[in-house]
Amino acid sequence: MTRKNKNIAIIGGGHNSLVSSAYLAKAGFNVELFESRSEIGGMASTKELIDGYKVPGAAHLLHQTDTKIHKTLKLDQHGLTFVASGLKTISINPDGNALIFDDDKVSGDDITMNEQKQYKEFRETMKKLSGFFKKSYQIPPPRLGSGDRKDMTRLMSLGWNLRSMGKNSMRHMLKYIAVNIHDVLNEFFDHEHIKGSIALDALLGNRLGPRTNNSVITFLHQLTGDLNGVQGSYAIPEGGMSSYSQALKNAAESAGVKIHINSPVKQIDLDEKNKVRGLILESGEKVNADIVVSGIDPKSTFMCLVGPKNLEAHYVHKISNIRMRGNTSKLHLALSGLPKFKGVDSEDLGHRIINAPNMKYLELAHDFTKYGEYSDQLPMEIIIPSIHDKSLAPNGHHVLSAVINNTAYDLKDGWDQSNAVVLENCLNQLEVMAPGIRKLVVHAELLSPKDIENEYGITGGQWHHGELTFDQFLMLRPIPGMAQHKSPIDSLYLCGAGSHPGGGLMGLAGRNAANEIISRES
Amino acid sequence: MLRQDHYKTSVYQTPFHERTSELNILNEWTRWKDYTVSTNYFRTDLEYFAVRNTTGVIDYTPMVKQKITGPDAAEFVNRFFTRDMNKIGVGRVGYVVWCDEAGQVLDDGTVFHIRENEYWLLCVERQLDNLKNSAIGFDVTIEEITDDIACLGVQGPTSCSILKVMGFEGIEHLKPFDIKHYDFRGQEIIISRTGFSGDLGYEVCMVNDVALDFWDELFDKGKIYGIQPFGLDALDLVRIEAGLLVPGHDFMVAEEAIRPGSTRSPFELGLSWLVDLSKPVFNGREALIEEKKKGSRYTFVKLNINGNKPAEGAYLYNQSGKKIGNVTSAMFSPSAKANIAFASLHDPWKKGKDKIIAEIYYQKDLEWNKVMEEATIVTKPFFDPDRKRNTPAELY
Repeated sequence: MTRKNKNIAIIGGGHNSLVSSAYLAKAGFNVELFESRSEIGGMASTKELIDGYKVPGAAHLLHQTDTKIHKTLKLDQHGLTFVASGLKTISINPDGNALIFDDDKVSGDDITMNEQKQYKEFRETMKKLSGFFKKSYQIPPPRLGSGDRKDMTRLMSLGWNLRSMGKNSMRHMLKYIAVNIHDVLNEFFDHEHIKGSIALDALLGNRLGPRTNNSVITFLHQLTGDLNGVQGSYAIPEGGMSSYSQALKNAAESAGVKIHINSPVKQIDLDEKNKVRGLILESGEKVNADIVVSGIDPKSTFMCLVGPKNLEAHYVHKISNIRMRGNTSKLHLALSGLPKFKGVDSEDLGHRIINAPNMKYLELAHDFTKYGEYSDQLPMEIIIPSIHDKSLAPNGHHVLSAVINNTAYDLKDGWDQSNAVVLENCLNQLEVMAPGIRKLVVHAELLSPKDIENEYGITGGQWHHGELTFDQFLMLRPIPGMAQHKSPIDSLYLCGAGSHPGGGLMGLAGRNAANEIISRES
Repeated sequence: MLRQDHYKTSVYQTPFHERTSELNILNEWTRWKDYTVSTNYFRTDLEYFAVRNTTGVIDYTPMVKQKITGPDAAEFVNRFFTRDMNKIGVGRVGYVVWCDEAGQVLDDGTVFHIRENEYWLLCVERQLDNLKNSAIGFDVTIEEITDDIACLGVQGPTSCSILKVMGFEGIEHLKPFDIKHYDFRGQEIIISRTGFSGDLGYEVCMVNDVALDFWDELFDKGKIYGIQPFGLDALDLVRIEAGLLVPGHDFMVAEEAIRPGSTRSPFELGLSWLVDLSKPVFNGREALIEEKKKGSRYTFVKLNINGNKPAEGAYLYNQSGKKIGNVTSAMFSPSAKANIAFASLHDPWKKGKDKIIAEIYYQKDLEWNKVMEEATIVTKPFFDPDRKRNTPAELY
């Protein structure tokens, strides 16, 4: 059977699925993609908040992208342009002294020349270390002890990537990799506000405090991406986040992918030998496919669509133990005017504004999370996308989108009870940062991890389809023995963020999966 | 419910202890899981001959017993065990093994399909954690009932007659591996035509309350049929003759093995007939398919060894003196009149080409002697009387 005769059904229409589908279709497979929602893009989409106001559904910045994928899929020709890129990060402070991070430069909040130098040094060190990650993200990780030649080569290349970093970086890697961002930052800086601002990057989307070991990995992970050659750069696509997904969709469709929206999948159809036969949709329709690729999270894939009864017990046990505890909510505000943030120039309001005054603040917020509670002082990442894109709100009006960390999926009191309180707390916090903002609020909504789970179908509302921790990383992601995008069911593959290299709008999981499928199924 | 009063006593007594302790004139006991049971009652060989010629009774209450119930019970056992469990209908018992993810045997045992949606697993090692881990996604309840159920093995040529005289109607019509439910003193008891002796025999499971009454009536009615209790030493003899393996003796329980090479797959224990690779899924399947492709490391064989010196623990060599395996169980079989053994063979042994020579040590007036005895592979059971299978069972 040649590729041309092989049908591939892809589950989910998130960015990884779209990337995967485009690569597979380019390679000559017949690819159909099934998305349960009424639009593709998953968490990278634009949604209507209320009539006339649109906000990014979940992800609100393009950050960890992989330039190679953009080039191969010619996303610029498929409609991807940026209204803003190389965004600065402005870390606000209750006393109004904001810190401004612009790539490797930092200014504001009584910062000294020496501290500026320290910051540059820190960035250089960390970029080098994340370079190792970036390289290892380009291919599926090796299987350990398989004896397979390909695995040996991959293991050797991992080792070589580490070795070729040079003595200093290798030492740094060994020194930092297993510890926490709190200790690392204390080695580099004295300035509490700088430390808090940097630490937030390690925590956003994750369930960690600065003192939690593993927070260096998450920090390096988010630094791996680049945009226009700038590592760790932030950008906003023209037309909102959905236009990023739209560009991917156009690329996929022009490669020949058939995309079906409003087509939730009920189960992966297996024959009596447990071989993939296709999909069964919620509508009852059967889709024949030789290969099924799942872009949704591994827990949903195996526990719901495959079913635990069709897997050996050890797989079920390991999959049900994947940690997927969401910790991040989305706050969306429709505003009747542009708010004024303390210490932020009005021309800077279009940049990335964060609330992380110091590491203690972040650690305390995490303490609440640990016990299923929430603080009234939460870390935030705020953007006002309507500054760049007037189409998002009526004339003169604006929308604000904020990522709120430390709002645990499994709150002790439950989200039904807590949603309104957390929203109120957030508004109160914002009122302190931007006095008068409450008067501008036309409409407010808080999407808790529970809401995100319901809306986007991600177990636990966990953005990365599985917490990015050392035991769920590289060849252990999503579980040991399943890291090559392969699954125990023949011809069922994983292409989502739950597989290596994990979450963020990278598309690498999708592309690596496609390459793996091309080499195995041809 | 499992007993949880270990702090009061280091070992439990079985519900039959009042009687077994009277009969155990040698006062020899073995700890078996949480219980103490008789090693020998009066003389190992006489106990052995009671099983072979009349009827022997063994208290095997310590056997670990787990109950699996619920609408998904059948699907659950089919995924847990390596063989096709659909073939074990209601009222039937099946011999089973089960594996870890590497396809290595965790234990062997018998599964009783007690009634629709209810199975009991009887085995040597506790399996509650393995069973529960395996139950994710299945609508089943798993309980350990070891302490709630008393068990007796009633084994030997006259066993059916004794049970019949006790009033268990139709007992002689039970086919091997059949189960029948009876009423005894107002309680349900379960009699199955199973056992560990390779002979005609039955196993009786009952609630603890009626245990002593049952024992008394059994020994009362059994007196003229030559009934005798037998201990674990005699059990070991009959089970080797019957060709039955014991975990921890003939193979390492995979969970307890420290060295990866010391565990065994079902193929390596001569149990291929218990593995149905055509089932779409069961625990260990992936690894066993891989083993089929790559070949097994060990071969299990039954041996008939020259001479009359039991080869317990013997090293095995080929004709050029290379070590090719070792004996796991051995005895001189009075019934087969042969020096028999189980052995695990490995490279460089070549089937059909290499000789098997056992290095046997034995003591003569305190002095150790060694003989090198040639062995041949036996494919049939060492002891296999027709009465084991005949239905209706022989009555006396």
